[in-house]
Amino acid sequence: MANYEPPVTDYESIVENCTCAFCGCNCDDLDYLIKDGHVVGVRHACRLGASKIMEDMDQRLLVPMIRGEDGELAETDWDSALDKAAELIAGAVRPIFYGWSETSIETMHHGLELGELVGAVLDNQATICHGPSLQAVQNAGYPISTLGEVKNRADMCLYTGSNAMNSHPRHMARYSTFPRGYFRPRGRFDRTVVTLDPKYSDTAKMSDIWVGFEQNGDYEFYNAIRAVLKGKKLQKEFISGIPKEDVEELAEAMKNVQFGALFFGLGLTHTLSKQRNIDIAIQMVADLNSYTKWILMPMRGHFNVNGFNIFMAFETGFPYGVDFARGYQRYMNGETNTIDLLTRKECDVFMVIAADPGAHYPGGAVKHLAEIPVIQVDIHWGPSTEIADVVLPGSFVGVEVGGTSYRMDGVPIWMKKAIDKPETCRDDEWIIKEILERVKKIKAEQGALASK
Amino acid sequence: MTYVDKPAIPKVVKFDEPNAKLRNKLDVMLNTGSDIYQGACKKRGSTLKDEYRKVAGVAYMDPKDMAKLGVSNWDHVKVISDWGEVVVNAAHSRDAPHEGTIFIPKGPWANVVVSPETYCCCDPTYKGIMCTVEKSDDDVLLMADLMRAVYKKYVNKDDEEGIKDLATLGEMPVYKKL
Ligand code: SF4
Repeated sequence: MANYEPPVTDYESIVENCTCAFCGCNCDDLDYLIKDGHVVGVRHACRLGASKIMEDMDQRLLVPMIRGEDGELAETDWDSALDKAAELIAGAVRPIFYGWSETSIETMHHGLELGELVGAVLDNQATICHGPSLQAVQNAGYPISTLGEVKNRADMCLYTGSNAMNSHPRHMARYSTFPRGYFRPRGRFDRTVVTLDPKYSDTAKMSDIWVGFEQNGDYEFYNAIRAVLKGKKLQKEFISGIPKEDVEELAEAMKNVQFGALFFGLGLTHTLSKQRNIDIAIQMVADLNSYTKWILMPMRGHFNVNGFNIFMAFETGFPYGVDFARGYQRYMNGETNTIDLLTRKECDVFMVIAADPGAHYPGGAVKHLAEIPVIQVDIHWGPSTEIADVVLPGSFVGVEVGGTSYRMDGVPIWMKKAIDKPETCRDDEWIIKEILERVKKIKAEQGALASK
Repeated sequence: MTYVDKPAIPKVVKFDEPNAKLRNKLDVMLNTGSDIYQGACKKRGSTLKDEYRKVAGVAYMDPKDMAKLGVSNWDHVKVISDWGEVVVNAAHSRDAPHEGTIFIPKGPWANVVVSPETYCCCDPTYKGIMCTVEKSDDDVLLMADLMRAVYKKYVNKDDEEGIKDLATLGEMPVYKKL
């Protein structure tokens, strides 16, 4: 068979129970097969996790670099690169520190201190993915549980606007659909899987029920279900393209389960009604709870995107897009978020830590990044490196360095170190701490000058 | 219940399909989002490689739409929206039928045509973009070349033609070693 890959047998040692550093499932049952200080095989991970852990060394960032006058990146030593970064940050009027979702909570600590010191905006990937979900949670509540509870209890799993089979491949296998749980001894056979998505996605293909409502039909559809739950008669024959009988039947089915879990993805946050979609989904879950037990959970993308939100909410009171420009923390949607700051051309220095705005921001926002200095702390050469002026090679959390992360349900998980990092790289935590020290020094010198 | 049988996806695009009228331009709705192939390639770090261009620089289209445009797999199409235009490969969608919608996995190619408008709620509009698709003879650029051609950070911004003629940045990192 052409697609058959023989199992890896050529390895020296195994490191067991490692945590995957890819998606918000944070699968913590992986075994790494190690040879010559490299991971040559990964057991139990999905395609995504395995491909990230067995990285492409061709594009690994190995040395600090500064872009010269000629527009080409040139290797330099750590001192010069860190000094350059510190100089840019200390001289900035409206800096943004963006990213953090693929690094450890320990790194964020130093980042927050640096942000407070220079009056920066601290933001993470939530701003382009689940930000509206966090706003909705602030509006309407957060009926969440842990994934363990879903595994043991849920008899209906509903995925809406999320293609779990593509973005969280082991979510169904490990937590929601397939595993046998305490009250669901037969696993998949004891559960009904529903997918709500305009597209016949890979997740829809595995579901018992697919509701393919119209694009941007989410808001109307959930409201129709809410109306049915409240005992109202639907007036229209078709709701978002779905016959009203089907809506009634689905509402009835959702009412009659013992424990339902609704997982939602970017299909809700990226369409026009944005946070209002989630407001209504949360209220639908609240309505369902008058009949039975339902919970709701956002399908968080990166392994520590939730961690940054929890960390920031704990430290500053706000989950993301926290602006320290006035010396204290402010949070205002549409004002202190990265994309808005960039499209308004407010930002003057941009530091990206463990994220890739070049790959994931809309062109309209990247255009401003092309006009200002960009500092990149990352492990791979990516689209952002093409627009970066200072590049600082970090290390791989969960493989080369330990760190704390938060799973999508808010469970903290310690990710352990399995192998050594390349000699010339540094830990993210060390890099941010060094920049902080250097910025402090510059500020102290400026202070001394000013007082003379 | 809205049970839907596995939709029948025609394996071969029939250009002479009686209902499919060949046209030069198609009005479609664009969705972007993650896709497992794009995700695996991106996070492995292989973004400079041709592989990334194949998995992210691609518009998944309904076979019927492809027939209407007269394109087959790996032909190039130009996607134009209010925010920009980009040339990508065309490919059969494995989620078809979805006539009138195309899907480009998230990445530098999709970014050129999505809307940065957040409507004051922090999140840009990555889905539901109205755009047109037409057949194109231009090449689909590699990631590094695309970033240079679109954002022009380190080249002469006014020299459009000159940028086109620059040598490709290739599939490996380019930097000066010590
Ligand atoms: S599901 Fe997510 S966390 Fe689990 S192995 Fe796959 S990528 Fe890693």
